[in-house]
Amino acid sequence: MVEIDGVGQVYLTREREIWAIEDITTTIAKGEFVSIVGPSGCGKSTLLNILAGFIAPTKGEVRVAGVRVQNKIPPGLGYIFQKDTVLPWYRVRDNVALGLRYRGTPEAEIKEKVASLLALGNLEGFGDVYPYQLSGGMRRRVALLMTLACDPSILLLDEPFGALDTHTKTLLHRELIGIWRKMGQTIVLVTHNLDEAVTLSDRVLILSSPPSRVILDHRVDMPHPRDVFTVRETPAFAHHFQAIWRVLGEQFKASGVEELRAPTQVA
Amino acid sequence: MSDRPLHQEEWAARIREVDRAARNERIRVLVWQISLLLLMLAVWEFGTRVPWLAKNVNIFDPFFVSQPSRVLAKLYEWIFGAKAGILWPHLFSTLGSTFVGLIVAVATGFAVGMTFSQHRRLAAVLSPFIVALNSLPRIAFVPLITMIFGLGMASKVATAWFIVFFLVFFNTFKGALSIERELLEFCRTLGASERQITWTVRIPNALSWTFAALPNAVSFSLIGVVLSEFVGSTTGMGYLIIVALSTLNSAEMFAALTVLSVVGVTLVMLFRMLEQRLLRWAPEFREQ
Repeated sequence: MVEIDGVGQVYLTREREIWAIEDITTTIAKGEFVSIVGPSGCGKSTLLNILAGFIAPTKGEVRVAGVRVQNKIPPGLGYIFQKDTVLPWYRVRDNVALGLRYRGTPEAEIKEKVASLLALGNLEGFGDVYPYQLSGGMRRRVALLMTLACDPSILLLDEPFGALDTHTKTLLHRELIGIWRKMGQTIVLVTHNLDEAVTLSDRVLILSSPPSRVILDHRVDMPHPRDVFTVRETPAFAHHFQAIWRVLGEQFKASGVEELRAPTQVA
Repeated sequence: MSDRPLHQEEWAARIREVDRAARNERIRVLVWQISLLLLMLAVWEFGTRVPWLAKNVNIFDPFFVSQPSRVLAKLYEWIFGAKAGILWPHLFSTLGSTFVGLIVAVATGFAVGMTFSQHRRLAAVLSPFIVALNSLPRIAFVPLITMIFGLGMASKVATAWFIVFFLVFFNTFKGALSIERELLEFCRTLGASERQITWTVRIPNALSWTFAALPNAVSFSLIGVVLSEFVGSTTGMGYLIIVALSTLNSAEMFAALTVLSVVGVTLVMLFRMLEQRLLRWAPEFREQ
């Protein structure tokens, strides 16, 4: 479904060229849930931007459903940013309907679809409020519904739960798993939270600090459906967590100094 | 401490109590404000009646500062009495020019701000000129504007525009540039064309900054119009003030000032309400 073939990305500064990504090659199957984890600045967001066609890779190529991605967003691709991307001037209902309006879907159909989406996101009764009246977690759900309205077959999630508290985060994990089980999208989740990665995904890719490569491709063979609350207590979870942490922790240590110098921006 | 469920009446009673306390506080503040106003009026009215003060202190000389009772009598005369009808044409002339100037300035300020935000080279080329024009003392241009546009409404509208335009332009321009890349990318993943992005994202975003400037814009517009009327005109509240100056009639001057302040306060209040209505989705703007 998604083929990443020898992708590398260079950033140029006045003094030198910096390879953010050295060489990444992997294939993500249709309906697979893959998490990408790595130290700050390892180019995981850059990789996601390349997959979405926002930026062109310096070398290599990305194919989605067999078609090369070239400076154009592939059809059927949804992208959730860490930043709040709900449009504040539209009511929740009109935000969710936005993608359908862009497509020129008939209003009657939009109305029906928005109602069922609001039900899916447990936001019935919030259709007519403005985003500022919602909590952070609710706005995240609205952004997800805005994307789901377009029936994406691939969902790219760029640290979507980063700014939320653990409670809200876990509840949203449960909703995401439910939606994925029901609709079967291919999901690529970028996160720095290993808990999150192990809980949700079929596969976890660990990137090294830049110039980054995939240094671990770990299959999380825990059966679905997983209960986000109890799965963390199981021995299997601990097993996978430790296996990945052993590699990831080394990377964190290696890039630790850099980390202190460049504080990550909190959105 | 344990949670105890509140009965409905108990709950309602508590809410009533909080509401009542808030209302009492508002009333108390209002009483203070009215008392202060009455005190100032009393000092003015009776201070000017003390012979020694009136003779030795200019600001208590009724020749210069008149008296609230005389100002009131003058207002009565203008509105109901012998000279009934003298006020309205002047008032409407000032108001009309203020609105026309405001509308033209907001429309052009928005259009130019929006255009500049979309055409970076155009903005780069023209920005120094606009910044220079903006940092000049704009009041100094009013005589020139009067020379060019004459003694009628055109001068007043041009002056109002000249003063308000920059305010609206800068607000819109900065607002339009402040849009986040992620918001645009996100809407593109939802299938938006560039045209749809403009209508659903860029324009609403820029408009919100334009609307936020409205209360200040209307008060600037009024300032511009009155200024233009001082410099050269045959109608308007500013004209009434200049006439009062040339006849050294302080009662008339204060009557005109009173009308102007009521108009100014009302306009700003109305436009604040309009702004809140237009920006009801944006609490961060409304609190400004």
